[in-house]
Amino acid sequence: MIRNVMKSAVLAAATAMFAAGSANAEQVVLKFWDNQRAESDFNQNQQNALKRFEKENPEIKVELTTIPYSEYQQRLLTAVQGGNAPDVATLDQIWMGAFAQAGAITALDDQVKTSGLTGDTFFKGAWDSNVSDGKLWGIPINVDVWSFTYYNTALLKEAGVDPASLKTFEGLKAAAPKLTDKSKGRYGIGLFGHKGEDTVVVLDTFIFSNGGKVLDEKGKCALTSPEAVGALSYLQSLVPYAPQGIMNASSATMRELFLNGSLATEFWPALEQPTLQKSKLDWDFVVGNAPEGKTAIGTYGGWNLAIFEASQHKEAAWKLIQFLTREDVNGDVVELVPANMKAAKSFLAANRKGADLIIPHLENASPRPLSPRYLEVADIEVTLAQDVFSGMDPQKAAGKACTAIDALN
Amino acid sequence: MSHRERWMAWIFVAPALLLVGALMYYPMIGTIIESLYSTSFINPVPKFQGLAAYYKILADPIFGQVVWNSLIWTVFVVALQNVFGLLVALLLNQQMPGQGLMRSLVLLPWVLPGVVAAILWRFMYDPQLGLVNSLLISLGLIDHGTAWLAETSTAMGSIIMAAVWKGFPFSAIVYLAALQTVDQEQVEAAKIDGAGATRRLFDVVLPGIKDVIAINLLLTTILTFNYFDIIWVMTNGGPQNATAIFPTQIYELGFGQFRFGEAAVYGVFSILVLALLIMVYFGVLSRGRHRGKAS
Repeated sequence: MIRNVMKSAVLAAATAMFAAGSANAEQVVLKFWDNQRAESDFNQNQQNALKRFEKENPEIKVELTTIPYSEYQQRLLTAVQGGNAPDVATLDQIWMGAFAQAGAITALDDQVKTSGLTGDTFFKGAWDSNVSDGKLWGIPINVDVWSFTYYNTALLKEAGVDPASLKTFEGLKAAAPKLTDKSKGRYGIGLFGHKGEDTVVVLDTFIFSNGGKVLDEKGKCALTSPEAVGALSYLQSLVPYAPQGIMNASSATMRELFLNGSLATEFWPALEQPTLQKSKLDWDFVVGNAPEGKTAIGTYGGWNLAIFEASQHKEAAWKLIQFLTREDVNGDVVELVPANMKAAKSFLAANRKGADLIIPHLENASPRPLSPRYLEVADIEVTLAQDVFSGMDPQKAAGKACTAIDALN
Repeated sequence: MSHRERWMAWIFVAPALLLVGALMYYPMIGTIIESLYSTSFINPVPKFQGLAAYYKILADPIFGQVVWNSLIWTVFVVALQNVFGLLVALLLNQQMPGQGLMRSLVLLPWVLPGVVAAILWRFMYDPQLGLVNSLLISLGLIDHGTAWLAETSTAMGSIIMAAVWKGFPFSAIVYLAALQTVDQEQVEAAKIDGAGATRRLFDVVLPGIKDVIAINLLLTTILTFNYFDIIWVMTNGGPQNATAIFPTQIYELGFGQFRFGEAAVYGVFSILVLALLIMVYFGVLSRGRHRGKAS
């Protein structure tokens, strides 16, 4: 009797082990790389979302690797070159053209057509940042827009400046001297021009808002247009009201000054709000700024999900992309703003001040130039910003930048 | 040495040779080959272009700026680091209370990771909140804060100071070890002959450690030429390329803009300079050895 019971137990155990073994053999392990975020809440939410995905798709197991932004681009590049690319990863909008042209990622037009996913689910600029050479290379997961003009309410009140006046070029320029008192270590406007993408997006915002462009429709440099040069001249005129050291300062440098009450206004995306919410500062914001009579046009920032060409699990990767960009999931897996517009509305209402101001600004923002050589263009734009901030004639600085950009082609 | 012993010697040396070849010479030769091809991330299939990238880079004004910056950076960091190192070594070589503690404290900047030292100096140079400006203003040397790292005229000098602070303990320790080998009888004899401290330093002590000085100068030159972290963290090679040197430019082109072919050209120029320095290093070493045998 005991022998029979034991036989049955061994048989049951063996059957269970075999079943588990065959399930594991069929399970797809999907390598997913993402940019590492600091917020612990975000990390927990992301883990929970992936568990939910695995529950919905028991045949897929997701192996998540998060990498700090400073190393992320290099790690992806090395992985692609070394043939160890992940199956799916988040890519900065500005990398899409280069990764597509390098043949590192796969076009998603067929998957999109079959699944019925449409571009109007997402913010237009975010969707467009995936289009290169007429093909779609990714699906947007999150977006943000540079920039909103944040201000220190107390400093504006003390200087007698109406916050609404900051919405225009003229208003900001008029407010700047009132907000600046260098003897007290107070500055009106936080300009920054270090070698970094934040320098480029703010520069682009002023150019776009003044009706200018970085590249024209043919991909030629458009920085010498009167609108672009006008924006550069305007930025140069703000230099006396900015803290010293513009050319080595970043948006993070300005954050320190803003938080300690030394800086009255600053240009940041909506993502800055969680940091400001944690401070004791009385702050608020207005939407961008543009010349009187024009609409402020921001510059898109954000991330897209892409499938790597070398992936053996493209179908599973596509399932993960669809899941992460779904209305009920997208808000849990982003720190910026969900790219899915419906998810964005509820996310912003719950997590950001002035959601009603943020959404229209997101809807009419422009992407940065969608060029495979964007990184070189951006480097030239940083030099342009530094030339302008160091006092070079804006027309001459723009001419120098255009010579360098057009020589890339 | 018999034929068999020669073979045995080669067999024993082979693993080390293979390792050095694979880890050092293979990437070096790969860099030279890559510089002859047009390769970037967006054009991953290498296309032979001969010396075209060299012509392009030589015609680019940034190349001249990088060469000039590298020269200024290397000369000043090496000179100041060695002078301060020697002075500190002379001081630490004196009998005084707390000598052990002093020696440990002097080493502190050197043991700090480069990135930490760079962040520390970035804070100190901060135009609004930095210690350097506060100190200079309180001493009445300047009347308002200066943006040390953001002005093309002051950025290079500022990072040189930071690198000297970080690197001088290395020279100090090397010189301290060398000073302890100086023949004390000769020093005493010079003292009895009426030579003052300066005379003893220049006529007895420094000639006694001159081979160490030569080797340390060369080693610090190689290390300084290859410096990356302090500059990258403090200025990213800016403003307006005022602090761009070979390693920062290679990193920027290769990993910032995916222009591997052009980064390789800068790499080749860098290898040439380093090869020259290494040849000088071995020349000094063998001269020292010959002198040692002769005496």
